[in-house]
Amino acid sequence: MAIASGSEAPAQAPSEGPANASRALGKRLVALGRGFLTLREGSIVVVTVATFVYFAASTPGFATGANFKTLLPFFAPFAILAAGEVFVMINGEIDLSIGSVYLITPFLFYKLASAGGLPLVPSVIIALLGSAMIGFVNGFFIAVVGISSFVATFGMLFVLDGLTLVISHAEPVATPGTSAIHVGSFAQVFGGGTYSMLIWALGIVAVLQLLLTLTRWGVYTVAVGGNRLGAAEAGVRVRLVLIRNFVMCSTCAGFVGILEAVHTTTATPDPSGAGEILFEGIAAAVIGGTLLQGGSGTVAGGLIGALFLGILHDGLVIKGVSADYLDLYLGIAIILVMSVNVLVQRVRKGSGLG
Amino acid sequence: MAEQPLNGEQEPPGEALPPGEALLPAETVAEDESSMSGGTAAADAAAGAPARAEPGAGEEVLRVEHIAKSFGPITALRDVGLKLRKGEVLGLLGDNGSGKSTLIKVICGFHKQDKGQMFLRGEPYEPKSVDDARAHGIDTVYQDLALIDELSVYHNMFLRRERVHAGIPFLANARMRRNARKALDEIGINIPRLDVPVARLSGGQRQAIAVARTVYGEANILLLDEPLAAMGAKEGGAILELIQRLKEEGNVSIIMVLHNYVHVLATCDRVNLIQDGVITFDKLTSETSVEELTDIVVEEYRRARQEALAADMEAAAAKRSTGAR
Repeated sequence: MAIASGSEAPAQAPSEGPANASRALGKRLVALGRGFLTLREGSIVVVTVATFVYFAASTPGFATGANFKTLLPFFAPFAILAAGEVFVMINGEIDLSIGSVYLITPFLFYKLASAGGLPLVPSVIIALLGSAMIGFVNGFFIAVVGISSFVATFGMLFVLDGLTLVISHAEPVATPGTSAIHVGSFAQVFGGGTYSMLIWALGIVAVLQLLLTLTRWGVYTVAVGGNRLGAAEAGVRVRLVLIRNFVMCSTCAGFVGILEAVHTTTATPDPSGAGEILFEGIAAAVIGGTLLQGGSGTVAGGLIGALFLGILHDGLVIKGVSADYLDLYLGIAIILVMSVNVLVQRVRKGSGLG
Repeated sequence: MAEQPLNGEQEPPGEALPPGEALLPAETVAEDESSMSGGTAAADAAAGAPARAEPGAGEEVLRVEHIAKSFGPITALRDVGLKLRKGEVLGLLGDNGSGKSTLIKVICGFHKQDKGQMFLRGEPYEPKSVDDARAHGIDTVYQDLALIDELSVYHNMFLRRERVHAGIPFLANARMRRNARKALDEIGINIPRLDVPVARLSGGQRQAIAVARTVYGEANILLLDEPLAAMGAKEGGAILELIQRLKEEGNVSIIMVLHNYVHVLATCDRVNLIQDGVITFDKLTSETSVEELTDIVVEEYRRARQEALAADMEAAAAKRSTGAR
């Protein structure tokens, strides 16, 4: 490659002039297009747009404002879950407890605000500290004790599911600060407002994408996932990096739990539903271009992955696909999309960009 | 000339000889005396030869005493002692598994020794971490290079020393890229694009990045664990030239693990041989030769083989006797 570019340079140099400006512009546009396609998120963007166009063309009522609102809850929560999970996955680990953190945090919030009598916002903050603690415990067992994250967080999943059933007596409760007939200002902000979840999702994704690409935190996250020994030799504090990413992942999941509980005005102790949340969160991250084996990933991609899952889900429902077939189609679509993703990634590798 | 400066910052005496050539004999004197008198700086100064201005005769910056380190049942270092003077390049030779890399990793704060002490410029030196050692001015090129394949060239070069914007904690990528380019140009290593992940580069280019990031840090003691292992002739030459240049400037001291005796004799001031976790040989390069070094190593190889053979025969004899019973 070095030889090729070396021999090209002198040939180009003399012909450069104002006459070639337009050609240079064209070249740059082509390069820009190729650059986009070779972006980590590029392939999933194309697939998502294609899916959208397909449903919009084939299904009346899909590309409408009203449907957009129905689509939101299918996608915004998973974007936030995926954002946290992406950091853990770039570390080369996985957090299987996010569904259960999502499940238990609303009950922590309920206990604090209803039984404890604390104001709503401090209750939210303390409940989130609780989910951060769960992340810390996960991180401790993984980074310090040395259990594999699959096992440690799998154990945590059952612990939290069980704990939720115990403290809730397996009964759903009304989320504090919400009512079925009126959406107050607290509920407006924390998930009850139509666009509240979307705004939170966009905000969190934007902040975490910046954290990943523009800060030391992000560089160290990639370093620990890419070459753990090398990162340690260079002086990166591997345990700290792992623990704080688990804390962040868990906090994101707890926050989504509260948003959902406020949105639906009820906190339901349903572990199987929590399991589905977990899978969709991880699926969004993976579809968005984050590698399960670590070292590489994107938060924005997780958002697009979640959007793709949302569009697919919503589109199939609107198309009138029987509920029995829904999961079948969803599964096939996911496998197809990932195959396309792999092909595009191969092209990207060939282009010399990572 | 009459008053000998004690530190290497002063100009070397302006003679017709290039500093590199005047360096070796002067050092010989210093070395002999220090080994007799216990190697204190005061003893060196009392000897007071004019040639004392040479960097190789500078004060002792690092001393390692009786270092032992085991990993479970495996003893990597038994009792290692070495010293490093200001401006000196010390070559560390030894077989695979003799403990060279472990010694480097103890000095750089990655491993904690089981026994023994280290002294940095006369002060007890107990690095708590790699960062801590770096804060003390000790930095390392590891044998495995410690590069992150997925990160760009310049992020690797600034790993753990990232530059951020003033006020906001965002990475100053443009500045890091510029500085990385400058450092690589100075060494003379050509890497066309600095924003590609290092996974895409050749072994030699990767090694050059690892060397460049250590050399262009702020360290004054460099530990280089096989800095030429993956390099072609041209890149290896550039790195050796760089080390020569550092040596002439005289501000940094270097411990370098090498395998090639010719490189050792050409680049290092002194050579230590480590065998089975003990330093068994310590001479100025001017006093030894490729033949001597080869002989020692071949001798060791023969002895090890004979011991292994004897052990085998004993085992076979033992087996026969139990079989006969």
